Amino acid sequence: MGCCYSSETEATEQDRDERKPLIPHPNPDSKPSNGTERNCASLPSARTDEQALLSSILTKTALNIIDVSAADSQGMEQHEYMDKARQYSTKLAVLSNTLSLKKPPPLPALTSQPHQVLAGDLVPYSDMQQVSKIAAYAYSAISQIKVDAKEELVVQFAIP
Amino acid sequence: MESTLEQHLDDTMKNHAIVGVLCTDQQGHNLGCRGSMSDEHGGVVSVLARQAASLTRDPTDTPIVCLESESGNVLIKSHGTITVAVHKMTV
Amino acid sequence: MTTALTQGLERIPDQIGYLVISEDGVLASAGELENDEHTAAIIMQMVQTAYKFRLQGATDPPFKRMSVMFEDHVYAVTVSGQKVFVVKRQNNHPEPVIA
Repeated sequence: MGCCYSSETEATEQDRDERKPLIPHPNPDSKPSNGTERNCASLPSARTDEQALLSSILTKTALNIIDVSAADSQGMEQHEYMDKARQYSTKLAVLSNTLSLKKPPPLPALTSQPHQVLAGDLVPYSDMQQVSKIAAYAYSAISQIKVDAKEELVVQFAIP
Repeated sequence: MESTLEQHLDDTMKNHAIVGVLCTDQQGHNLGCRGSMSDEHGGVVSVLARQAASLTRDPTDTPIVCLESESGNVLIKSHGTITVAVHKMTV
Repeated sequence: MTTALTQGLERIPDQIGYLVISEDGVLASAGELENDEHTAAIIMQMVQTAYKFRLQGATDPPFKRMSVMFEDHVYAVTVSGQKVFVVKRQNNHPEPVIA
């Protein structure tokens, strides 16, 4: 799901308009009063380039900050909290149902007496040696397969 | 061309306890098989050998994987670029 | 319950460590396999691979134990009650067989 604005990449001009406060902030250099209210007011033309640059940095930074304390102070009624919690748990229940379908299949039992099976005699050493020898012979047999060139590999055609 | 490998597999099957043998490359391609072991086993055999080898950091200690039952065992062992599986009955 | 699970494992001859794994992760571990998530993950993969092994149209996996044998140690693996049991045992070759 992600957090607020997680899908946001770059604020468009339209976004800026939407978040622009209806009443311009009396003191633009101060911290925005809360997280949802972004101060993106257009800059007065009288400012110098340096001031404009500074303000734009400030605006950019303010856009990237979610002021939790300010958002909290805005207040949410208890029933709103409850509604949100319910919405989230419903959403999670739906998601976990689809996740369980992707789970690997269960583990079919190989025995009902795991301890006895594990304590049983190990495979005889002679069997281990035998399979090692078969593998080594097979490898050397494979290595002997090679191209046995009996004719010229490059044939010259008589091109007129 | 009757390869040395085919001859080797035939010789292996002469052992009365061995009822199947298979040789596969690292990708699970079947290089030859006899008896109870067939084409379809190549993939599982090569993957098991590779997973087993990842249990150790020592590249010279090549493990043998053994699937054991009361009636017989399937022993899997790699050597260089190939892996063999031998199905051996309990005598 | 965990004690009952592991008591039997501790008595296995030449046992130098064990793991009890469920689909959700390691349930118990001891000795050389204590908290060995790496080994647990590989063994789990091997069990899933080994389940695919069938002999001549059989419907059940044709084995009750999977052993991974190294020069001086063995991992013995089996599955029971939705749990994978792994015991690491010393591999003592009684006498070298000259073949």
